[in-house]
Parts: sequence; structure tokens; C-alpha cells
Amino acid sequence: MRVCFRAILAAACALVPVVTAAGDPITLRDGLDRVVTLPAPPRRIVTIFASNTEMVAALGLADRIVGIEAYTRYPPEVVSKPLVGGRLGFSVDAVVGLRPDLVVVTPARQAVNQLLDPMERLGVPVLVLLQRSVPEIFANIRLLGRAAGVSDWGEALAGRLEARLASTTQRVQDRKPPRAVMITGRLGNGLLLMARPGTYTGDALELAGARFALAGRGAIAQVSPEAILDADPDVLLYAGSAADRDELIRRPGWSEMRAVKTQRTYTVSRAELLIPGPRVVDGVEHLAALLHPVAAVQ
Amino acid sequence: MKVWLGLVFCLAVAAVVAACAGHEWASPMDLARALAGEGSLRSRLLVEWRMPRVLAAALVGVLLGLGGAVFQGVFRNPLAEPYLLGSAGGAALGATVALLVPLGLPQSLLLPTLAFAGAWGATVLVIGVSRVAGAVDAAGMLLAGVAVAAVLGALRSFTMLALSDETVSLQIVLSWVLGGVQTPTWPILGLLAILSAACLGLTLLFARGLDMIGLGEVMATAFGLDVNRFVALAVLAGSVVVAAAVAFGGLVAFVGLAAPHIARWLVGPMHRPLLPASALVGASIVIIADAIARAALPPSEIPLGLVTAVAGGPFFVLLLAHKLRT
Repeated sequence: MRVCFRAILAAACALVPVVTAAGDPITLRDGLDRVVTLPAPPRRIVTIFASNTEMVAALGLADRIVGIEAYTRYPPEVVSKPLVGGRLGFSVDAVVGLRPDLVVVTPARQAVNQLLDPMERLGVPVLVLLQRSVPEIFANIRLLGRAAGVSDWGEALAGRLEARLASTTQRVQDRKPPRAVMITGRLGNGLLLMARPGTYTGDALELAGARFALAGRGAIAQVSPEAILDADPDVLLYAGSAADRDELIRRPGWSEMRAVKTQRTYTVSRAELLIPGPRVVDGVEHLAALLHPVAAVQ
Repeated sequence: MKVWLGLVFCLAVAAVVAACAGHEWASPMDLARALAGEGSLRSRLLVEWRMPRVLAAALVGVLLGLGGAVFQGVFRNPLAEPYLLGSAGGAALGATVALLVPLGLPQSLLLPTLAFAGAWGATVLVIGVSRVAGAVDAAGMLLAGVAVAAVLGALRSFTMLALSDETVSLQIVLSWVLGGVQTPTWPILGLLAILSAACLGLTLLFARGLDMIGLGEVMATAFGLDVNRFVALAVLAGSVVVAAAVAFGGLVAFVGLAAPHIARWLVGPMHRPLLPASALVGASIVIIADAIARAALPPSEIPLGLVTAVAGGPFFVLLLAHKLRT
């Protein structure tokens, strides 16, 4: 829980609004510690990345979203909005063509490098959000609420999510945390990508009542299958399809792993645990149910 | 004179068309209104974002044209291109480090600096290696270039594999390697312009020597040129030009190869007219290619180097066929 508290504190410090009087320009501090001033609540928002789109939509503002990027699949009412980028990067032209009064973006896939400078030069406000922990996601929801002039909605949504999370963490807190590994992807060279400490996915894993089977080596996302065999986790989580997981654990040596022998290998939802939006709480709840089946029923 | 007016006219038309080209096309009237200071977001996009980019593309083209002409002159080889002596591998390694290693400096500064250092450093290394190995002539330098490029390529691949924590960052490195002109700030654009002018002056200093080399090493020596020393100096100068191009435009394929050829058809083989003509041709090619990169596949951008190669290759073959038949 210490991790959680520290993260809340850090997130709260980072996102304190500077001025939020009604009618005045809205001034905020974003994830990069930039001061962002909005002359009025934005009506035309370009949300880049699924997480930012989902948060704005969850605030009930889907109708204000005018542009998204190509990998956004949820919620259904936004997926047909104009695209401003995708596999080949992000287009300043496309963003400007939508005449946005706010662009919400996350430092990933060069989006911030490609868009922040031109948008600042053109005078389009950009809100950069970071998601290093689950509490930071809640802070982002509050910040977006303030940015959009609907602080109450942001507060209410974040509060509801926090309450659900608290109820889950409370259920599992006295249980012995199983040593878990969550595989989030596979590389062509055989290495596996793993949820690690210091990320919201790793945070979600801990909040759901697990501990890292590969602690101490947490800074490295790519690990060889050997390291996972060596760690011999109690629970093996695979973010992807059951067929892919089965293919993985049929490999030589994996049948001897404790998690495989005790049939505690599970698939988990990529949408819930690899998109830092409101659905991450669903992810924690589902994880907790897998990790602590008895506690979840109580 | 007619040729020069033609070249400048082509460049001007290319620049206007490119400034109009984008996800949404602007008309020349829109450009005029934007330049007159109209305050709409779209006008600001044209003036603050697109025009500097068109100018930067032109200057990258200038540098590639100059670099290509120097390298083809030095090696007396029509297939010589500016990235011949390891600068591509060095620049790519520098850029990979800048993109993937958290060095605590802004990437907008780090990326061009390390790309420049990599590109120029690699060529210096090639010259050093060929000297140490005792192969001081052009052929020795080319072989050293192949060896250094292989080492640098392997180092870059290792850096990419070891440091990328998601497949996306590999994509980022790849897209840099494939080239692309970023919109510079006005001061940076000014710096690039001064740099380009300096590079033109620098390469013109070598014009006479390049003409002599063109007659063959024996003739050049008979004219009193210290060939090995001249080749090394010209390569060093040429690689500074190329490194500057790489720092601002990534690895743009093909322009450095094609521009000097087209220029040679227009103004002949003497380097004093050839160098500026090659610069103008390079500028036009990169401006148009960058416009295609921006406008062809909205909302995405195609990496510039792919456009120059895919569109430039067939165009160049057509020109070549036409030239050979007449």
C-alpha cells in the first residue's frame, strides 16, 4: 500500500490546478509540468491514444471528441471519428484540420515529439498525460474533468473508480500474495515482454494482490523465457488469447512450472490492463478474482 | 543562363506546390492570405509550420545535391552516393542512441547532434582506418567504408534490440532511418540556411581539384595535385555536408545519387557550375518528395526516403533512357 500512497501523493502534487474559478480561463499543470491555459472549456477535443479517448468518453464528453488515432477501439460511439494518425505517426495537418481547442496526448509512439511543438507554435492547447500508476490514471480523469469545465463529473467518476478499487484491495489485503508473472507480449526473437514495477500495469497487478515473481529484475521489460522458468511463479498471467498462452506453455520445460502444474495460468484482457483508462479498475477486479478466488466471492 | 533560370523557376514552382500540399490542400490564394498575416488556425499552420518545413526540405536537398556531386567527383564513379563512406551507418547509430537512450537532454537537440556526429565521425573513422591500413587511395577508402559500415550496422542493431522496451520504439528508429524533414524553428532554419551557404562555399573550393581528378589520377598528378591528400580532404568536406543533411532530414535515399546526374546533363561536367546546379536540383527533388510524403496518405506521413526512392527511381530511369537515346 505504500507504493499506492506515494503514487497518489506524487500524482496529486503534479496535477494541482493553478486557477479554476468559473468563467475565468482554465489553467492547469499537465503531466510534463507544463502550464496549460484554456480560454474556455474546450468543445472540440482531439484525444490521441485509446486511454485518453476512453477517459474523455467516460466523463460523458464523447460528443466533444472530434479526432482519434487509428488504434482506438472503444467506446463504440467514438471509433468512427476522423483519424489524426496511426501506424505511420501523427499528422499536424490532420489535427489542425479538425480545428481543435484541446489536444490530449501521452508521450508514446513519438506523438508528443511530433505534435507538441507545432501545436504550441500554432496556439492549440495540448494536455500531456502520464500514466505511471493506477492512482495517476484517476488524477488524469480529475484533470480532464477540470480541463473540460466539468470538475464535478471528473471528481464523481474518479471517486467511484477509487471506491471500487479500495473495496477490491481491501478484500485481498490479508491474503498471501501469490508470486505472479504477467506476460504482455512476445517478440520475434523469443523474448517475452513482462508487466513490471513502476508501470500502471505492474501497479494493477500489485493492487489485485500479487507480488512480482521476478522482483529485482523489474526494470527490464524484455526477459528470456528461461528467467521466467527460473522464477517459477505461482500464477502465470497472459495478456492475450488462450490459444497463444497454450502455445507458450506447451513449450519444453514449461510443464514443470508451478503455475502450469497447478493449472494457475490465466489469460487477462489487454484492453483492461494495457490501456491506462477507466477500465483498468475492471482489470484489477478481474485479476483479483483470478488471484484470490475465495476472497472475491466473499 | 536559360538553364539557370529554368532551375530557379522549377524550384520556385516546387516550393509553391509543396506549400499548398497537405492533408487538406491549400490554394496559392490561401498562401498569400496567410503570408499577409491572416490569423486563422489554418493560416498559422501554413506560415508557422508548413513554410519552414518546405524551406528546410529545400536546404536538405541542397546539401544532398552538393554532397552527391563531391562524392561522385572524388570517386569518379557515377554510382557513388553521399552515404558511401559509412555516414549512413554512423548517422543511424547516432540517431538510435538519441532516440532510445535516456540522456536527459531534449531530443530535438540530441537527435540532430548525434546524427551529425555519427555521420561525420563514421567517415573520419573510415579515412583513419584506410590510412592505418595503408590503403590511402580511393579504392582502399571504399573497402574501409564497407567494413566500418558493417560494424556500425551491427552496433545499431544491437542497440535497437537491447534498448527498445516495446516494438513501437523499433518502429520509431526505423522511421527515422527512412528519412523525414522536421519543421525547424525559425532560428534553426536560419542556422540551416547559413550552414547550407557555407557548405556551398566549402565545396566550391574543391571544384578545380575535382575537375582535375576527373581527368584521371595520372593527369591530376601531372597538373600538380597531391591526389591522395586531396581525396581525403574532399571526402572530409563532403561528409560534413552530408552529415548536415542527415542531421536535418534523416537518411534520404537516392537524391544524392540522382541530383548530380541531372545537373550534369544540364550544365556539363565542370564542377564550378555543377555544384550549384546539383544543389538546386536536389532542393527541387526533396521539396516535391516531402510534399508527396505529407499529402499522399493522410492522416499519416510516408517516410521521405521511401518517397524519394519509389518515385525517384523510375523517374531517374526514364531520364536516363531519354538521355542515352538522344
